[in-house]
Amino acid sequence: MKILFRFGLLVGLFGVVLAIAQFAPAHAQQQPPMSDAQIIRIRTSCVSALNTLNQLHASDALLRVNRGQLYESLSTKLMQRFNTRAVRANFAVTDLQSITMNYGHTLDTFRLDYQAYEEQLSAALKVDCSKQPVEFYTAVDLARTKRTKVHTDVQQLDQYVDDYETAITAFEQRYQQAAQGVNPS
Amino acid sequence: MSDEPLTENLGFWPQHRFLILVGSSVILSLILVVVSMQLYTSSGAAQLDLSRPGYRSVSSQALKSDNTFQQYDDTGAINQASIDQFKALYAKQVQNVKAIDAFGGDPMNPDALEISAASDTSQP
Repeated sequence: MKILFRFGLLVGLFGVVLAIAQFAPAHAQQQPPMSDAQIIRIRTSCVSALNTLNQLHASDALLRVNRGQLYESLSTKLMQRFNTRAVRANFAVTDLQSITMNYGHTLDTFRLDYQAYEEQLSAALKVDCSKQPVEFYTAVDLARTKRTKVHTDVQQLDQYVDDYETAITAFEQRYQQAAQGVNPS
Repeated sequence: MSDEPLTENLGFWPQHRFLILVGSSVILSLILVVVSMQLYTSSGAAQLDLSRPGYRSVSSQALKSDNTFQQYDDTGAINQASIDQFKALYAKQVQNVKAIDAFGGDPMNPDALEISAASDTSQP
């Protein structure tokens, strides 16, 4: 039992060492080559950059709350309810349901990506930029990449919003044809 | 009858039961606080909490409720009128969605933050 425990401990330790070994070179490669002049520039602009980032942090949080509500309501109060009503009335709305489902998945991704971005920006704001300019630059750069991902999610959501609008127009045409007794196919 | 105090006959646990009760209550509450803080941060609730320090300046601008967002009735027949009603409600909200390019732009650009190597003259 004791040998088994020791073996388990060794395997665990090896795993941790392997994980660090995998991560360390990749992390090192991400460090941009930085000249002394740039380091001085970061130290000089440090306070103003932090002020800008703090303002961005607050305004993005507000944007997340308000946009999150809007995106959530669009799905729960309109898309899902129209789908339900159409299904209850025996209309085939697989296209609308599919768009709503994809929209929901993208909304989940948006939430997670925003959380990752906010955590990274908070981490960047905690770095002492006058003492650790390279770490500060790297943390801000990473936060910037994560913010771009959030923007991509927003664009994807907007695309699904457009797709749903197009699908509703198509549904309306199908309804009109059916109402006039014309076979849609 | 013996004059010895009753506590001397008790064991360690019964003798210190009050202290143990208080100590275990404190430990339990600490554990619960750690768990709830962990849930608060990991669930994403922290990102939506505008009452945190640093967000006070914008918290008043948050939408308190979306009462203005009229929801579509999910019961009833599907006819031209109900489709038109949906399209009108949807178009109104799409307008709000498209009003701004959320998270667009590049405010974290090193040039904008003046932390780039752009004006670095030490490079050959």
